[in-house]
Amino acid sequence: MKKYIYIYIIAFAFSSCSTSKGLYSWDKYQKASYNYFKKADEKSIDQIMVQYQKIIKQQKGTRKVTPPGMFADYGYFLIQRGDLKKGKENLKKEILLYPESKIFIDRILKFIEE
Amino acid sequence: MKYSIYLLLSATFFIFGCGTTSKLNKVQAYKGMYEEKPLSVLIMPPINRSTNVEAKEYFYTTLNVPILNAGYYVIPPFLSMEILKRESAYDSELFIERPSLKIFNNIFGADIILFTIINKWDKSSIGSKVTVEVEYILKSTHTNEILYSRKGTISYNTSISSGGGALLNILASVANTAATKYVEVAKAANNYIFTDLPKGKYSPMFGLDKEEMAGLKVIKVRLPK
Repeated sequence: MKKYIYIYIIAFAFSSCSTSKGLYSWDKYQKASYNYFKKADEKSIDQIMVQYQKIIKQQKGTRKVTPPGMFADYGYFLIQRGDLKKGKENLKKEILLYPESKIFIDRILKFIEE
Repeated sequence: MKYSIYLLLSATFFIFGCGTTSKLNKVQAYKGMYEEKPLSVLIMPPINRSTNVEAKEYFYTTLNVPILNAGYYVIPPFLSMEILKRESAYDSELFIERPSLKIFNNIFGADIILFTIINKWDKSSIGSKVTVEVEYILKSTHTNEILYSRKGTISYNTSISSGGGALLNILASVANTAATKYVEVAKAANNYIFTDLPKGKYSPMFGLDKEEMAGLKVIKVRLPK
């Protein structure tokens, strides 16, 4: 019985902070970002690309939508790697999903085309 | 024995989860956030006043996720970093006191700008205490008002103690990995600071958290061993 009381306390502690289930799932994205900043080598770029694919395709957060910025940054890395076509597609997906990004992303697209 | 672990864990969550509250509710503490209803956030490269040269970029990588989780649009961090560097706007010191931040609205579409100042990011020479002290300032690009500002000092003793419960031991071992310990402590600081941020448009709680009690402006926490 006592055990259940403690479990209730834990459950309450979680719910009172409303951080138990997030809007988005991130897998190892933060770690990969950190590694990219630290090393900026091919391997760390590979790792962060895998994370973008996971965040985009296997989103487990409560919104069930790709989080802001992810299509755009994924596109940025694709362009860096020379895949201009796919990179631009992803930048455009960012605008479709988040129209507030249009000012900025249009500017980037213009940069690329010049 | 088992019960005492539960009790310890739950107590830890209380301490960890919510921090201490001030006597204001959120709409009183962060009035401008509710009036302006910002959507799009630009994260500026942190201002590094610590002695650790690497802190700036490492801290930067921890900032977008908690703001996204609070329901905001965060301007893509890698892409915006690239543009800021190209435009020679990488030094946030040049902008924090500016009378107008409208240019960031024109270029990035940002409603608010997050400035962060790292005051401390260091390890004590005796023992193994890691301390991270950071200030967070959100400024409006429309009114130039400071809409949200908090400061946190988080310290953590990296020497592992025995009998702290399974979870705490995991935390301890994570923090003990030399390469990531600062980042983990910085993430803890972000969690404390951003739990108070009024929820943004993409959160189901958008506009519904006005009556919640706001936390203190200055937070000091020592993470338990």
